Amino acid sequence: MSAIFDIYLLEALINGVLLGGVLALLALGLNLIFGVIDVVWICYAELIMMGMYSMYYLYSVYHLPFVVVAIISMAGVGVLGVLLHVIVIQPLLGAAPINQLLATGGVLALLQSTATITFGIDFKNLGIRLPVIEIADMFVSYTRLLAFGVALLGMVVLYLFLSRTYTGTAIRAIAQDRQIMPLMGVDTKRIYIITSAIGGVLAGLAACLLVLQYDVHPFIGLTFGPITFMICVLGGLGSMVGGFIAAFVFAEIISVGGLYLELEWGYVFAFVFFIVMMFVRPQGLMGRRS
Amino acid sequence: MGRRGIARLLGGLMVGLAFLAGPGSADAQEKKFKIGVIFDLTGPFAGGGSDLHYLGSKIIIDHFIKQGGIEGYKIEAIYADAQSKPDIAINEAIRLIEQEKVDMLLGMFSSAQCVPAAARIDQFKKFMWMTTCISSAVLENRHFRLAFRVQPSGRQFGMMSADFIAKNAKDKFGKDPKDLRVAIIHEDGAYGVDVSTGNEAGAKAAGLNVVMKEGYSATSPDLSSLVTKLKRARPDVILHTGYNPDITLLLRQSRELGLRFQALIGHGAGYGVYSKLKESLGTDVNYFFNVDPISIWLSNPSALKPELLPVIQMIGDEYMKARPDTKIKSAHVGMAASNTYVFMNEVLRRAIKVYGGADSESLRKAALDVDLPDGGTMLGFGVKFEPEAAVMAGQNTRGFPVIVQYVNDESVVVWPKALQIKEPVLPLPASSPYAVK
Repeated sequence: MSAIFDIYLLEALINGVLLGGVLALLALGLNLIFGVIDVVWICYAELIMMGMYSMYYLYSVYHLPFVVVAIISMAGVGVLGVLLHVIVIQPLLGAAPINQLLATGGVLALLQSTATITFGIDFKNLGIRLPVIEIADMFVSYTRLLAFGVALLGMVVLYLFLSRTYTGTAIRAIAQDRQIMPLMGVDTKRIYIITSAIGGVLAGLAACLLVLQYDVHPFIGLTFGPITFMICVLGGLGSMVGGFIAAFVFAEIISVGGLYLELEWGYVFAFVFFIVMMFVRPQGLMGRRS
Repeated sequence: MGRRGIARLLGGLMVGLAFLAGPGSADAQEKKFKIGVIFDLTGPFAGGGSDLHYLGSKIIIDHFIKQGGIEGYKIEAIYADAQSKPDIAINEAIRLIEQEKVDMLLGMFSSAQCVPAAARIDQFKKFMWMTTCISSAVLENRHFRLAFRVQPSGRQFGMMSADFIAKNAKDKFGKDPKDLRVAIIHEDGAYGVDVSTGNEAGAKAAGLNVVMKEGYSATSPDLSSLVTKLKRARPDVILHTGYNPDITLLLRQSRELGLRFQALIGHGAGYGVYSKLKESLGTDVNYFFNVDPISIWLSNPSALKPELLPVIQMIGDEYMKARPDTKIKSAHVGMAASNTYVFMNEVLRRAIKVYGGADSESLRKAALDVDLPDGGTMLGFGVKFEPEAAVMAGQNTRGFPVIVQYVNDESVVVWPKALQIKEPVLPLPASSPYAVK
């Protein structure tokens, strides 16, 4: 029994929590976009990739301070989010969901190809190595701890914004009833653009933290994209709290499952859990039945 | 016959002569050999080494194009991007054969692509020259008539590292091989599985204590569970096979989670691109080992055929022209260049000269005739292919990898003993963040 409940299990649990933080951060912006605009940005992970490239070039090539680089990158991805909405999403708002999916899928390919042509296929790395925290024979990754903390903070700030500001209230109202709000004088176009900007900024924030842990290359989105969508669906598309919980559930299954069986079994269990939940709660953990 | 009649007769004769002579001379001018070249120019494999293999092959093909071709045949190359996907590799191979009408196919970096693509290309009865894709599964028990690979197999890679560890167990680790704890971890594609099979077979033969063997997906976003398991297994030596960026992810997470070991041996692919490892991991990469065919720039010149030396120089010059930012020349470029050179200079030349053409059957006969002793290629090894009836039909029986160690930005051959430039630094010195304290 002691062989099962050892310090490594505790370490795996902590790793799971920290991985959950990373995944939660990824899911946050995507859920916001879907909840408000009712469109899934298939290219969300590619926006993060662009943010990571921005971080790399501004920090490693132009040697700007990290905080300045992070702010510029978040703003840059925010602008990309707005452009994505205005150029691609807005004309398709009334179109069938499949058309919207295909359009954002096209943007995914466009961003991947643009990155390949512009930045090349080399893996780029910021070269920053943060210290390691050692507690009683256990090691905790500072970069993951940072991502976890920022994910929590992002969630709180977003919650306060949505619940305490007029714009936030309008965003929530639109998320609840898309048809009635224009009749009550809310400028939905403006709200959609603000939401897209926030979604983009959140993708930029994820980029700032992921670039500390992962090399950036044009196809990094493939590593995170599918799992981010699964988390959003598991949590209930559009539900930020649901996405947050789902991220931690998913991460713990991967982490602990991978400790006792082969690593890939952790993912198999997570996907089986996902499929079962889709039968039990098709609307997701915290989603509303449509 | 009047004057007009004579003129008509002469005109007719001239037209007739032109008709008879024309096609022959035009044919001689238009003798062309089309090579379809497939590598990953985009996607994760591109940065993991495939792009460098593409460069190596291209340098050699361009070299022969500049020389005006081979034995009267003009050379034309058509390049295709497999995009790091097996299905695209197969589709591109078919496109090159059916639409571009290539005479043969050359290249492919990933074993995951070569395994299905080789069978498909065989169906078209086209000659295939594999520059890389080292998994044994590509050729084992498949008895292809027209597929050949100069590169040593993945299993040879795996067995060499186990042999290296076992032979150094007593001297360097102060332990008998049976007391040396070895962990084998690998990406779970054809390449990683084959190398790990070699690792395991080699470890078993040498009596090493394998405490863990596990595969993982190269695109996994998190390897921390694997690192925790490695910590629990407490290996002295880790034998790792991966592409990139999974290698850097594993090593970064290993450092963050406090994994300690006495030696790490990588097996080609991402471990062969030192500059990328250095960029991602900094000096942490110091004292790691890599199993690969020797870098052509590290080969002992006196052990090679003298006519290869200017070719090595030319490849280095072209490499630096194409990638002026290169600090340490990657072994990957040399591997593809050497293997392509063997095809162009030994196989194609012989096929035309001895067998009178460059069709698949002539190329096959010429490939089977190649009999180069050690030192006959830029990679130091010789070439002799297994015949069709053999289990590994088409495999070069004389290929072998070496083990290099990265020490202070230098790549040093440490194994086999006969080619050793320096003694290996074992175990990891205390300066390494992974060293057992």
